Amino acid sequence: MTYFAAADLTLTAALAATALPLAAFAVILLLTRGFPRVSAALSISAITVALVCAGALLVRHWHLAAPLEYSTLWMAGGDIVVRVGFLIDPLSLLMLMIVALICFLVQVYSLGYMAGDPGFARYYAFMSLFAWAMMNLTLAQTLLQLYIFWELVGLSSYLLIGFWYEKFSASQAGKKAFVMTRLGDVAFFIGILIVLVNFGNLSIAELNSARAGFLPPAVITVAALLIFGGIIGKSAQFPLLTWLPDAMEGPTPVSALLHSATMVAAGVYLLARLFPFFSLSPAALQVCLTVGAVSMLLSATMAMVSRDIKQVWAYSTISQLGLMIMGLAAGDYVAGVFHLTTHAGFKALLFLCAGVFIHTCGGNDMFEIGRRGGRHLKIPMICMIVAAAALSGIPPFSGFFSKELILAALAGRPNSIWLAAGLLGAFLTTYYTFRLIFIILFPRGEAQAHADGHHSAAGYRVMAAPLIVLAAVTLVLGFGEHAFGRFLRQGFPGPVPVPGHHTWLPFAALGLAAAAVGLAWFEFGRRGAAQVGFVERVAPLRELFSRRWYIDDVYRWLLDNVLYRVFSALCAKNDQKVIDGAVDGLGGAMASAGRILAVLHTGSIQFRLLVVSVVVVLLGLYYFV
Amino acid sequence: MAGIPFGHVLALSGILVALGVACATARRNLIMILLGVEIMLNGAAIAFAAAALRWQQLEGQAFVLFIIAIAAAEVSVGLALIVHLYHRTGSLDPEKFNTLK
Repeated sequence: MTYFAAADLTLTAALAATALPLAAFAVILLLTRGFPRVSAALSISAITVALVCAGALLVRHWHLAAPLEYSTLWMAGGDIVVRVGFLIDPLSLLMLMIVALICFLVQVYSLGYMAGDPGFARYYAFMSLFAWAMMNLTLAQTLLQLYIFWELVGLSSYLLIGFWYEKFSASQAGKKAFVMTRLGDVAFFIGILIVLVNFGNLSIAELNSARAGFLPPAVITVAALLIFGGIIGKSAQFPLLTWLPDAMEGPTPVSALLHSATMVAAGVYLLARLFPFFSLSPAALQVCLTVGAVSMLLSATMAMVSRDIKQVWAYSTISQLGLMIMGLAAGDYVAGVFHLTTHAGFKALLFLCAGVFIHTCGGNDMFEIGRRGGRHLKIPMICMIVAAAALSGIPPFSGFFSKELILAALAGRPNSIWLAAGLLGAFLTTYYTFRLIFIILFPRGEAQAHADGHHSAAGYRVMAAPLIVLAAVTLVLGFGEHAFGRFLRQGFPGPVPVPGHHTWLPFAALGLAAAAVGLAWFEFGRRGAAQVGFVERVAPLRELFSRRWYIDDVYRWLLDNVLYRVFSALCAKNDQKVIDGAVDGLGGAMASAGRILAVLHTGSIQFRLLVVSVVVVLLGLYYFV
Repeated sequence: MAGIPFGHVLALSGILVALGVACATARRNLIMILLGVEIMLNGAAIAFAAAALRWQQLEGQAFVLFIIAIAAAEVSVGLALIVHLYHRTGSLDPEKFNTLK
């Protein structure tokens, strides 16, 4: 293990990348809240330096023989030692680069999107807070450190979802996101405690080493499942998936950054981070696979009936995160992480394009955007089609390569139901993606006035630049698949999957994608199409999907009938009877004691004199007789 | 020392103090309370004088002189206060002066 050394370039870069956004956050909140332009400049320059550091780290360690660890002692008590520091390996470097790049692009984009907002400085402060927490999360050396920053990204997510807090639905959505993710985090924390008690150490590298194999299998399974609980919460997997669509109440760049590309991907990142540990428990991996598949299919069906452009991308995020979890759980580490990478690019791009449409057309409804002439915005429209093709797994865009890897991993499973689920998910994904594209591209009904008044050309250019960068990334990233796989595998302690050779698989996936595009074209694109999907024709199905499979209603019912009627009632009773009773009793006893004592206080000076004399006499008797 | 035994003088002074306490606590008249206090002081002064005689020490007698002086001062101030109170309220009952209660 290497210890801190000031001259170490890697350490300096890591420290700079992880500390500067915090400094920007503090300075903005304390000093420059009243100066939006200064605040934005501070925040963006901090993230730029972080991006440069991340890039330098990535280049410097492109050929990394073994993971680098920098750590210092934080807590030591008995057998338990907790260290803090950086773990630098291909996975964390990659994630750091993704986070820094997307944070940077989104912050630049926000210059246009958030222009003129009264909370502009506050927005950049929170963005810096998020960037700091997320980059520390990626480089965390121990699980506890990771957990701390995991909670901090949850906090910044809460703050940013509820950014327009004067809107009731936004503050509600923030609370919902916070509480639901917290539910998973409780499980995560218990999992950490189990690891700590049984393993005596929270170092991620050691947990992934062969030493963890000496733990009893039951302990590994329980710990892995509890940690997976945190992943379910953070990555909005079944059954905690309904917070993410509601989180779309936040500003669109926030959705792009936190709720699609980076923060929700932290769950998948954690799964990849602990992949060798999870691999020790086939049962836990099976649960991950199931949860991923269920979330992927459920949210894909929800996306098929939504009219809100951001909601569609939110459902699609859940779905793709589910697919990544399936890829990892199927045993292909590179596939899952590669899809995470490509997804971060094209999903951020989708959200940022949606942001331009929303900003220009003044609404989230995709039919409305189509009628208001969304297709006349050339750059966002083209970028969105590129990203949508990537999401649908159409070559040569990045999503094709990563999805193919995951499907191959699923095909390698003995049970073919997983492959079927994956292919069905891919079909549905392509269908709802192109449904949205065709609705915006070929609007029905009379065109409405182009609501173009409230954005400047400069703002549009600022927003378009990140779109072009991301579209370029989406275009070329897929071809780096082999270099990517080589980079990611170096120093990787986990099992290496045997690549399955299914020559028919890409063709099957492509055929399904083509069929889905054709179906979407038939229902939404062609001249004279009614623009009503096949699911929307069946009322019960439409109802089921648009009510999110009644998951929220189940939560409502549980809240009303279990939490409020049983636990809250018990607590209220305890409060009223036991605690109030005790406090009231104490007060009452004091009052009556006072009333008794008050008898002695007549206010008569002579009475006091008498008492003094009597006491003196009694004292005299006591001492002298 | 032929004369009154020391114990008797102490008993007298004790009785005087007790009478003073009784007077100061039982009477409902400020002047009588002041009188009671004076009697207590005199009781104490007698005990001092007797003790000075008993041990042949002059400090006891000096103390008596001090007590008499202080009693005179106290009586003058006390009576002045009582006169003032009587002018203000028309009463000498200590129970009436309870505005601070």
